[in-house]
Formats: sequence, C-alpha cells, structure tokens
Amino acid sequence: SGELYCSLPNPRNVHFESINMKNVLHWSAPAGTGNGVLYKVKYLVYGVGKWIRKPECRNINTTWCDLSSETSDYEEQYYASVKAFLNGMCSDWVETTRFNPLTDTKIDPPMISVSSTDNSISIILTAPEKWKRSPEEESISLLQVYPGLQYNVSVLNKKTKKRWLFSISNNTLVVPWLEPGTAYCVSAQIHVTTPLLDSGFSKEHCIATLKDK
Amino acid sequence: TAGNKIFHFGACRVSMSMTEIRAGFTAIKTNIQSRDPIRSLSILSHPHSLHKVKSPDRCCITHHLFDFYVDKVFKHCKTEDSFVNRKISSIANSFLSLRRKLRQCHEQNNCVCGEESTEKLKQILANYEGLNVTSAAMKSLGELDILLDWME
Repeated sequence: SGELYCSLPNPRNVHFESINMKNVLHWSAPAGTGNGVLYKVKYLVYGVGKWIRKPECRNINTTWCDLSSETSDYEEQYYASVKAFLNGMCSDWVETTRFNPLTDTKIDPPMISVSSTDNSISIILTAPEKWKRSPEEESISLLQVYPGLQYNVSVLNKKTKKRWLFSISNNTLVVPWLEPGTAYCVSAQIHVTTPLLDSGFSKEHCIATLKDK
Repeated sequence: TAGNKIFHFGACRVSMSMTEIRAGFTAIKTNIQSRDPIRSLSILSHPHSLHKVKSPDRCCITHHLFDFYVDKVFKHCKTEDSFVNRKISSIANSFLSLRRKLRQCHEQNNCVCGEESTEKLKQILANYEGLNVTSAAMKSLGELDILLDWME
C-alpha cells in the first residue's frame, strides 16, 4: 500500500474500554503532535491472526473507534491496533494487550424498582443487557452471560441511619418487619464471583412505608 | 474455600473454587501474554473453540487438560520475574489439588473419551508440539482464561 516513511511518534495508551460488552478502542495522540493527525484501525481474532481493517475508522481524527460489532463474540479474544498519519509521515502500528470481553468488560449497576406496604419493602432488580447492534436485535441479559451473577442490596433507614446488606442470587427481595411511615433508601450492586466482576452501586431509590391504618 | 462452586463436567460433579486461580492469572495475564508474539495460533482454540465440545465429553476433556497443564505447561514457565514465578507456582498448586478431585471423579464415573474429545486433545497436543517448548508453554499459560471461561 506504499507505506509512507514511518517516523511519526506512536499513538499512546491504545486500549479497550468496555462497558456491558460495548467494546470501544481508545488511544491518545502521539506526543508533540497538534491537530491534523489522522488514524486507521485494524483488529484480529486471537488464534486466527488475520488483521482486518475497520473501514469506518480509516483516516479518522477522533481518538476512539467502536469495535463492539467486531468483538461481540465473547467466546473469542482479540487484539486491535492503531496507526497515525500527519503531513505525509506515519507512525508504527501500536497494539492493545489481548482483550477478553468476558473478563475485561465493566458492568453497569442493576436497575431497581421498589414498592412498599406498611411494614415491608419489595425490591425487583434487573441486570443490564449485553450491548447489541440494533434495538431490533434480541436482548441478552448479562445474567445469561454470567450465570453466577449475584446482587448485593443495601437498605438504609433514613430516620435511624441503620443499614442492612443482603446478597441474593434471584432478582427479587422483600424486606419485612419495617417501621410504618418511614423512609427507606435502596441501592444495589452486581457481583460476579468468577471471573471477578463488580458493578458500582446504583443510585439510591427512596420510598416510604405506608402509615399505620 | 471461598467461592466454592459445583462444576458439572458431564457425569462428574466436582466442588471447586476458581477464585484463587482467576486472581493469580489476572495478576500476571498481561505479563505472560506479552511474551507470546504469535497471534495466528491458539493452543486450546485451534481449529475449533473448546465451546464446541459436547457436554458428555466435558469430564474427559477437563481431566486431560488438567494433566496437560500440570505435566507439560507449568514446569516450562520460568521467568526472570519472581512475582510472576510465585503466581505461576500458586496456580500450579491449585491445579494439582483440583486434578486430584477430577481424577477421582474421572475414575468413579468412568468418564469415557468420545471420538470428538480424543480428536480435540490430539489437536491441542499437536498445536503445543508445533512450537518450541518454552513458547508453547508460555502460550498455553497465557490461554488459561480460555480454559477457565469454558469451565465456568
């Protein structure tokens, strides 16, 4: 392809950032280069070893490239690589480390819905979905990807500041023997034991138990 | 042990914890995989992924893969980095104790190796012997997460 003279400094910190298996390649511009640097990206499936160019990320000036579609099979592992161009010069290809979507992704907190009676709170938790190409595509819950997925749930009595922590495998929790007419705040986290993956805690959902009749 | 789970390998049910092995591997994964420059070959996944192995054959394949790692891989994975070496020997020790459990289960349940798993094991050994021993051992160690992902 008539490669140019490659003396441009390399792109830096080439790495995947992955959330719920939305896998985006990120990098930093070569040191000492201002605007005008363009990039191209390629990737490969480990064990197949044929580099494949990503057409949508050819001659781009952004420092990221979404490779979610190309790395969606989480039973495979991948490498990606970036090359920079400026004023007729180019850099070397710079590779990521080996990327394993199953172990290297981050997981969002679960969604929470809460309802109450006069002395109990019912909590329903929903694990996030795996990234998908389009809304029409079938949804895959991360629960299917990580069968050992559990939820850590925190319930705080706003009045007494007393907190309970529960660790559950199914997605519903009823907290009984609560005080009527009292505000409670719930937040939850996803915990996968192996591979070890923890989401952050969700935003707090507060609800009051009904007043005594 | 923390994180003990019941694993089903065909007829075999074995209570094991992968947590320590996973933690040990995660700590050295980037170091080990950076020593493997060969992108076009996978010892465990070439030409077919482990995920293609049928359920009844899981018992036999898992048992033989543990033998493979204990007998052929760990002993050839010395590095100049004492931290990495310590993690490798810790993983190797975990494999030794898990192998004992698998061996008992393998014998009790008379896990028979089907034609496909026998072929798969042959392929893995051929992939391994196609490289010099140090490269093959380091590549196999770098693929430990492929084995763990498949087992889990």
